[in-house]
Amino acid sequence: MCLRNLFRRRTRTFLCILAIALATMSIVAIGATTSRYICIIKEMHIYFRGKVVVVSKGAIVIEAFPIGGFGSLPQSMAEKVQKIDEVENAVPMLFIYNIGGTLEAFPKNFTIGIPYGNWQVLVGPTPLKLGGHWPSAGSSENEVVVGSSLADQHNLTAGTKITVNGYNLKVTGVLDTSSAFLSRSIITSLDLVQEMYGYHMLINMIVAEPMKGVEGEELANKIEAEIENIEALTEEERIDLAQPLISDIETWVLGIRTLLFILSMIFVTTVAMMNISERRRDFATLDAIGAPKSFVFKMVITETGLMGLLGSIAGILLGSVAAILVASLYTGIPISLFFLSIFDITPPLLMLEILVSTVTVSCIAGVIPSIAAARMNITEALRAEY
Amino acid sequence: MRIKTEELTRKFRVGSSEITAVNRVNLEINEATFIAIVGPSGSGKSTLLNLIGLNDQPTYGRVFIDETDASLISGRRRREIRLLRIGFVFQTFNLLPTLTVLENVELPLSLAGKSQEEQREKAMTLLENVSLGDRIYHRPKELSIGEMQRVAIARALANDPETIIADEPTGELDSKTAKETIDLLFDINRKRKTTVIVATHDEKIVEVADTTYTIIDGKLGLNTN
Ligand SMILES: Nc1ncnc2c1ncn2[C@@H]1O[C@H](COP(=O)(O)OP(=O)(O)OP(=O)(O)O)[C@@H](O)[C@H]1O
Ligand SMILES: [Mg+2]
Repeated sequence: MCLRNLFRRRTRTFLCILAIALATMSIVAIGATTSRYICIIKEMHIYFRGKVVVVSKGAIVIEAFPIGGFGSLPQSMAEKVQKIDEVENAVPMLFIYNIGGTLEAFPKNFTIGIPYGNWQVLVGPTPLKLGGHWPSAGSSENEVVVGSSLADQHNLTAGTKITVNGYNLKVTGVLDTSSAFLSRSIITSLDLVQEMYGYHMLINMIVAEPMKGVEGEELANKIEAEIENIEALTEEERIDLAQPLISDIETWVLGIRTLLFILSMIFVTTVAMMNISERRRDFATLDAIGAPKSFVFKMVITETGLMGLLGSIAGILLGSVAAILVASLYTGIPISLFFLSIFDITPPLLMLEILVSTVTVSCIAGVIPSIAAARMNITEALRAEY
Repeated sequence: MRIKTEELTRKFRVGSSEITAVNRVNLEINEATFIAIVGPSGSGKSTLLNLIGLNDQPTYGRVFIDETDASLISGRRRREIRLLRIGFVFQTFNLLPTLTVLENVELPLSLAGKSQEEQREKAMTLLENVSLGDRIYHRPKELSIGEMQRVAIARALANDPETIIADEPTGELDSKTAKETIDLLFDINRKRKTTVIVATHDEKIVEVADTTYTIIDGKLGLNTN
């Protein structure tokens, strides 16, 4: 019955549902896109657990990785760090946030240079896909390992040749990882990355592992005391660095979401008020034949709730697609690859959360109109003509 | 159900002026009688019926339902009386446009808490009685005025009310359908012992009524013709 009431005013109902759908779509797209970023940032917590990361003073660091600012350190710095008593071992790395030359917010890939044999410092126990091997020092070719997402996108397997930044590289292995960060990475020897990106004898981070029994905090203080113009970041400090960024993003998302909910609510209320004033006579009739007030309440709220439900379902579908388009635009990964992982980009929990909140919001939007409907003066309303 | 009014008055305020639509009406309606109320347009017929049918509150004066002062009955009980004991046939029928004919008749039954089957069975019987058994899935707007009228009567009868109040039931009908409607109401009154209160201009209704009242400018008088 409620559905039929809605369809009586087809255009208006359609427009209202469209508005809800657009609002929901934006909420989903923004939510999915930002939660992906936040996921990547949070995921970086897992790198270099318990270790101290040394970067140049003034480097802009997200979690462990320097992404900009005055980034580089001389490679010899790693030896200085190594010499400190409390250091078990120090690995120099060059981390390049490769945006592929065009103006893009999301990098085409991360290129990471690590001295031969120290791969595990970065990737931990992550295995290579079958048939792959890590670059070997003795090879005459420029050997690299690539992340699974890059490999899928460009059809790379062990043995494929690629060109990055004008250098011919040979893929020797594909990292079997679901990490958003590692799966977009090219990992190779430090020398090669220095050469490719013109960082002669320069690095931008050193990963220092403390001796057994030495706290990260203690080691970081020691390193900062002995070497000038660097920052030694413990695990906690790295997390703290990212925290304001994450909470900033989350606050903005929450703000936009609230605003969109309020707008939808106003919209639904307006439409419901219009519907109700047009149907004064129906409500008066219901009242006159003895329908309880709760019947009228339920009817109006079901109608607005239904609009919310239809709108949010449409919005979630559109929003998930929009989130894929955004992700694809930023990463250059073809859309078709993304569709397989639609639930990775827009988590089902987010979908459900938005569905429930939109329906709730539109039910709430029905409260004022339903009170107005139940309060309607019967005799006056009975006189109202269509 | 016995209905009695005492100095029943209803005034409407329109801008700065005041209209007395029903003026000190004293009326007694016994069970199972057929009452006609005649009067020119604007004389206060609908207003009076709304007061008697507990749709409206008097400005002063009282309505008694079975000796109980209606102004002392709670809103909830008044609703219950409207649902179960009074069937109202509106001047403009007031069928719900989004419901089918069948659903319109089922609605009061469903509100009264009847089961799906009971609703269906009762509504079907009522619609067959008004010869609309073959139109049950139509929407009101697909019906003729006379058919809408019959659906409205079927709906009013749904919960076997003790009283039917009909506001100009033949006002918009041609003489043939009007005759059928009158016969129907008369039948209901005689067979079911239902009190029927009808506001009308129609001489034919006056002919069958047990008692006829005239209302002019809100003042009620017994028709002596
Ligand atoms: N809700 C209202 N507000 C203001 N005036 C009203 C209202 N209802 C009725 N009236 C006035 O009260 C008077 C009686 O109206 P009512 O509808 O009872 O007449 P009626 O006898 O039913 O007329 P008709 O035969 O045209 O249906 C009219 O003058 C009308 O304008
Ligand atoms: Mg009238």
